[in-house]
Amino acid sequence: MDIFLQQLLNALSLGGTYALLALGLAVVFSIIGLINFAHGELMTVTGYAICFALIWGLPFPLAVMAGLAVAVVAALLMERIAFRPVRGASGTTLLLTSFAVSAILRVLFQNLISARPIPVSIPASLSGVLTIGPLHLGMIQLISIIVTLVMLLGLNLFLHRTMAGRAMRAAAEDFAVLRLMGLRANSVVATAFAISGLLAGVAGLLWVAQRGSVDPLMGALPVLKAFIAAIIGGLGSLSGAVAGGFLLGFIEVILQAYLPESLLPYRDAFAILLVIAVLLFRPQGLLARKTPVKL
Amino acid sequence: MPRLGMQAVKGTITLALPLIALTVIAELFLPAALARLATLYLIYVTAVVGMQIYSGNSGIISFGQAGFMALGAYGSALLTIQPAVISTSLPDLPGWLAAIAGGQSLPVGMAGALLLVGLVATVFGLPLSRLGGAAASIATLGFLVIVHVTLVASTDITRGSQTFFGVPRGVSAFTALVVALVAVAVARLYRGTRAGLALRAAREDEVAARASGVNVVRERFLAWVLGGLVSGAAGVLLAHFLGAFSPKDFHFNLTFLLMSMLILGGISTVSGAVGGTALIVVMVDLLRRLEGGAEVLGLQLPEVFGLTDIGVGLVILAVMYRLRDGLFGLREVDERLFPEPAAAAAPVAPSGATDQVSLTVEGVGRRFSGLVALEDVSFSVRPGLVTGLIGPNGAGKSTLINAICGIVPPSSGRVLLNGTDTALVPVHEIPSRGLGRTFQNIRLFRNLSVLENVTVAADAVAGPGEDSRAAAMAALAVVGMQGLAARPASSLPYGAQRRLEIARALALRPSFLLLDEPAAGMNPAETDALIAVLRQIRADHRIGLLVVEHDLKLIMRLCDHIVVLNKGQMIAEGPPEHIRADPAVIEAYIGKRRAAA
Repeated sequence: MDIFLQQLLNALSLGGTYALLALGLAVVFSIIGLINFAHGELMTVTGYAICFALIWGLPFPLAVMAGLAVAVVAALLMERIAFRPVRGASGTTLLLTSFAVSAILRVLFQNLISARPIPVSIPASLSGVLTIGPLHLGMIQLISIIVTLVMLLGLNLFLHRTMAGRAMRAAAEDFAVLRLMGLRANSVVATAFAISGLLAGVAGLLWVAQRGSVDPLMGALPVLKAFIAAIIGGLGSLSGAVAGGFLLGFIEVILQAYLPESLLPYRDAFAILLVIAVLLFRPQGLLARKTPVKL
Repeated sequence: MPRLGMQAVKGTITLALPLIALTVIAELFLPAALARLATLYLIYVTAVVGMQIYSGNSGIISFGQAGFMALGAYGSALLTIQPAVISTSLPDLPGWLAAIAGGQSLPVGMAGALLLVGLVATVFGLPLSRLGGAAASIATLGFLVIVHVTLVASTDITRGSQTFFGVPRGVSAFTALVVALVAVAVARLYRGTRAGLALRAAREDEVAARASGVNVVRERFLAWVLGGLVSGAAGVLLAHFLGAFSPKDFHFNLTFLLMSMLILGGISTVSGAVGGTALIVVMVDLLRRLEGGAEVLGLQLPEVFGLTDIGVGLVILAVMYRLRDGLFGLREVDERLFPEPAAAAAPVAPSGATDQVSLTVEGVGRRFSGLVALEDVSFSVRPGLVTGLIGPNGAGKSTLINAICGIVPPSSGRVLLNGTDTALVPVHEIPSRGLGRTFQNIRLFRNLSVLENVTVAADAVAGPGEDSRAAAMAALAVVGMQGLAARPASSLPYGAQRRLEIARALALRPSFLLLDEPAAGMNPAETDALIAVLRQIRADHRIGLLVVEHDLKLIMRLCDHIVVLNKGQMIAEGPPEHIRADPAVIEAYIGKRRAAA
C-alpha cells in the first residue's frame, strides 16, 4: 500500500508535467489547428534563461520569473515570425512549419550556446526529501504537484471568469464566428501562444529543477510524450490533454515499477504502445471535442 | 485494367528515364565520390517514394518511414552479417536468431527484412488507420519512437546504440537503380488503382469519400503497409550501402531529411518525390562541404555544426510560405506532358432501380441530451417518384437526413433501406446497398479531376472487369458534363459543382438518391437546368429521389409527394396540391395570423 501511494505521488508529479505540456499544445491547437513541434524548444529556452539568470547572479525566484517571461516572449515571437504567415493553412502545412522551426532552433542552440548540457545550480533547499510517515517525497516532486495544480486551477479560472478567457473558449469552438463578433483574431491567437508559452515555461522549470542541467535537446522527449498525451485525450480538448498527460504519467510510472528488469529499457515503447492501443477503442481520444459536422 | 495500364506506364517511364540516365552517367563518367552520391540518391528516392505512397495519397504526414528503414536495415543486416563477425559483435544473440543469422545473400536479406517490415506495419497499421489528420501524424511519430527505443534496448540483437558492423556492402548503383525503379512503378501504379484513387478522394474530403463508398480505414491501412514496404526496402539498401550504422542514423535527422525531399518536390505526386529528392541531395552535399568551414572566394568560413539541418529547415519553411504544393504541384509530370485521351461513355446508362426496392422511415425519433430533434417520423420514398422533404429551419430535416444515411443513428425507430437498417451498416456501405447522396455544402474532391470525382463512386459499385471510367463518363453525360471531364473539380463554376455532386451520386447506381438542398445558392437559370436534370433522372432511371429544399417553388414544381416537418414532427404528407392547401403547413411556414386571415 505504501509503495502504491509512493508510486501514485511519482505518477502525479511526472504526469503533471506531461499534462502542462499537453495543455499548452492543446490551447494552441484548439484555436488555430497547429500542433506545435517547437513547444519543446520553449521549454529549452526557459531552461537556458534560468541558467543564465543564475549565472549572472540573480536570486533563484527572480531567475524563475525571468525564465517564464522569456518563455512567453519566445512563444509570442514564434507565432509572430514563423506561424502567422501560414495561419489558416492546412494542418499539414502548420505541422511541417513547426517541425522546421523546431529543428532550426535546436541547431541554433547547439551553435550559439553549447551542444553539451550546462549545469543549473538549483538551490539546495529544493533538493531535500520530505518524509511523511512511510512516504518519501522529494521537495521538487511536491513542488511539481502543487505548481501543476495551481496552473490548472489558474487556467480554468482564466478561461471561465475573464473576458479574454471566454474569447479563447469561443475561438476554440468557432474562430470565424468570433471574428465576425468583432474580436481581433491576432489578440486571441497571441493570448493562446502566451498561455502556451507560460505552460511550457513552467514545465521547463520543473524539468530543469529535477535534472539540474539544460541541453539543446532537452525539450524533445517530454514534448514527444505530450503529443501522445494530447491525442489520447482528444486533440484540441483541454481537459482531454490534462487527462492524457496524467494517464501517460501513470502508465510510465507503473511500467517503471513493475516491469521486469530485463524489459525496463523498453519502457517508453510499451508506454506508447499501450496508449496507442487505447485509440483502437476510442479513435477520437478519451475526451474528444464534439465538433458537429454540418453535412 | 486499361486505366491502370497506360497512364501509369507512361508515368513510370517518364520518371525512369532520368534515373537510368543518371546512373549510367554516374557509373561511367563521374568520379567515385559523385557516383556514390548518385547511388545514395537512388536509395533516398526509394525511401521518399515510400513516404509518398502513404502521405501523398492520404494527406497524413508520416514520421514513420525512417522507422521502416531501420527495421529493413537491421532485418537484412542480421541475416547477411559476415558469420566471422557474429561471435565478437553479437555474442549474446538469442538461439533462434543465431540459427538463421549471418551469411545469407542480399536477396534473402531483402526478403526477410520485408517480411519483418510487413508484419510490423500490419500490426501498427490497425490502430493507426482509424486515425486521420494530425492525430494520425502524431501516431506515426509514436511508431518511430517505438522502433527507435526497441532497437536501442535490444542490445543482444542490435548492439543497442553502438554501431552495428560487418554488414556486407553489396549495393551497386545498378541494384539501387532496380529497387528505385520498382518503387517508382509501384507508387505510380498504386496512385491510379481503385485503392489509390479512393484514398486520394478521402484526403480531399473524408465525409464525401465515405458517402461515395470508400472504406477510408482500409485504404489508409493498405497505403501504410505498401509505403512501409517500399521505405523498408530503402532501409535494406542503405544498410548494405553503409556497411555499419546505429539506431540514431534512422531517427529524427533522417525523418527530417526525407520529409524535406518530399515537401520540396510536392507531396501529391511521385514526380515530386523523385525531383525533390534530387534537389535536397545536391543541397545537403554542398552544405556538408561548407559545414567543415570551407574557403569560399578567399573567405574562410567558420565551422557551423548542423548547417545542413538549418538548410533543410529553411527549405521546408520556404516551401510552406511560398509554394505549398511543392515544385511539381498536384499533377504528375506525365499527366501534364501526355494527358489521357477522353474516355468513351459506357453504352448502358447506370441504373440500379427496380420496383422491388424500398426506402422506409419507420417511427424515427432522435434526442440530443433532452432536446427532442425528431419525433416518430414515418414515411417511405417510392422508386421512380420524387419525394420532397420540407420544413422551416430547425424542423429536424438535417437530423432526419443523418438518420437516413446512417451517420447519426436514431434514438428510436429505424430506417430500412431495401430491408437493411441503415444504422447497423457502416457509412461507406450505404451506397452499395442502394442509397446515394449529395451535400448541402458542396463536398467535392477538389483537387481531383471531374472524371476522377465520379470514378471514385463508380469504383465503389463496379464488379470485377467492369470499366468504371466508362460508367463515370455515362454518369457525367446524364448531367451534361462529359466535356469537362479533365478539369479539376475546384475550377468549376458553382452550378456545375452541384451537378457534379449529382453525377457522383448517380455513379453509385443507387436505387434512391438523397439531394440535400440541391438548388441552394443557384440562380434561376441554374435552377431550371437542375430541374430538367432531375426530371430526366426520374424518367430514365426509375430512381427514387428524396429532395430536401427550402425553395418551396422548386419543391412544388418537381415533387410527386411531399413530407413536411415542423419542430421535429411530421405535420403533413401528400401530393403538392394537397400540401399547398394544408392549414398546418401554411401555419408552420407563414404564421398563424396570416393563415387565419
